[in-house]
Amino acid sequence: MMMNGATEAELLLNCTDMSVLERQKAHLKYHHPGFDPTLAGFLSGPSTINGGEIDGFLGTAGLDLPVIYGETTVEGSCQFGSGNFKKRKFDCVVKTTSEECNEVKKMMMMMNREDEEEEKSKITEQNNESSKSITKMKNKAKKEQNNCSNDSSKVTKESQKTDYIHVRARRGQATDSHSIAERARREKISERMKYLQDLVPGCDKITGKAGMLDEIINYVQSLQRQVEFLSMKLAAVNPRLDLDIDDIIAKEVVSAPMTNLPLPTTVMPSYEMVNAGYPYEMVNSGYLHCNPMQQVATSSDQLSCFNNGEAPLMWDSDVQNLYSNLGV
Amino acid sequence: MERKTINKRKRVFSLQPNKNPKAVFARRYASHLVPALNKINMNKPTSKKDHKSFEQTVKHEVGMALALSAQEFAWGRFLQHKLLSPTHEDPSYSSKILERSDYKQEGEEEEAEIKKRLKELQKLLPGGEEMNMDEMLSEIGSYIVCLELQMIVLKSLVQDNSS
Repeated sequence: MMMNGATEAELLLNCTDMSVLERQKAHLKYHHPGFDPTLAGFLSGPSTINGGEIDGFLGTAGLDLPVIYGETTVEGSCQFGSGNFKKRKFDCVVKTTSEECNEVKKMMMMMNREDEEEEKSKITEQNNESSKSITKMKNKAKKEQNNCSNDSSKVTKESQKTDYIHVRARRGQATDSHSIAERARREKISERMKYLQDLVPGCDKITGKAGMLDEIINYVQSLQRQVEFLSMKLAAVNPRLDLDIDDIIAKEVVSAPMTNLPLPTTVMPSYEMVNAGYPYEMVNSGYLHCNPMQQVATSSDQLSCFNNGEAPLMWDSDVQNLYSNLGV
Repeated sequence: MERKTINKRKRVFSLQPNKNPKAVFARRYASHLVPALNKINMNKPTSKKDHKSFEQTVKHEVGMALALSAQEFAWGRFLQHKLLSPTHEDPSYSSKILERSDYKQEGEEEEAEIKKRLKELQKLLPGGEEMNMDEMLSEIGSYIVCLELQMIVLKSLVQDNSS
């Protein structure tokens, strides 16, 4: 496939599967561009930033997500001054700029004080040292945003020349490799925490890591307890279980139209998805995280479609509800 | 038999069955759990004494279905190994609810608090204790989603069969 030379040089550290990325980009362009950055957090599993393992889907899925993440950030939250900042042009400088913009977004949210001087760091990818690919930027957010697009071309040129990672330390912070690595680690963790915040209901009102972790722990505990309770109930009910598995599996339905659904948040990648080349389907599928607590009344009705041999006419609306329910 | 024929006629197949990852998981989960339940249902003991072990079996199957449907995640694989190993004991879910600390000073104490909670979280996730922090945080996300989906499937199974 034809790819910009710059793009190839910069592409994600362990992105060996170019064709998958290509397809993803094609899908990305085709579908609604707005995705939620939390998606990246979820799918950017252990292998994204570390870039370690490529085995298994997490490797491939994770690879491409920072791309999405970056593009999302660019399109959505970063709010670039230039409204006609087209995705296609941006494609050329996928990861580098996107990472910078990620960092900008993070800085905006995490930093209280901002320096007046503008410090930019040029990042270039080194193929096997993804763990060091850090963006450090400290300046006024708006300025940086506007410059992001301008810098993209600069950065691409730089990356072609060197394959070192230049990291400029922030003003007033230690510059030794340990603290930089430590900082990178902490940023990664906060990124994940943000994603989890969206996942766990009621977490958005809580600030502070410890509080959020508390909520997450409580939520997971309550989920586990509910599962235990439900399995006990199931054991009690089991005698009358006469489900025909064919009924359940057979009631697959045409999935809900993608474009109607709002921004996707949590998406679970699966082997089939990645291998079948549908990586962006899941991105755009618009499945928001479902909160089973809120859906006790409705979800069971929808899912009862699984077990009954209902007329197809009724099925369609039920199905739509089911899938939007799973999503919402 | 007739019912089956009728049902077959009314089947609706998805054009892209793998598109929705949540549906994929739910489908896989149901396809693992229901046959297992049917199987153990055949051997269901009628006496109340064995009901406890029956419950254990059901719990085991529920866990296995979850693990098998989530093979892409490290916690899924770990859970499977744990359930299959002969020394499997019931996971003791700590019912302790952590109180939010009103920490006011930053620095060391905060870090320690956070570390403590991260360790708690690690215990909750199957296989969490063998992962490093980053990995664990990523896995927790998928674990939460899968738990939620599992609940939906279980609820529907219970409700449809208890009416």
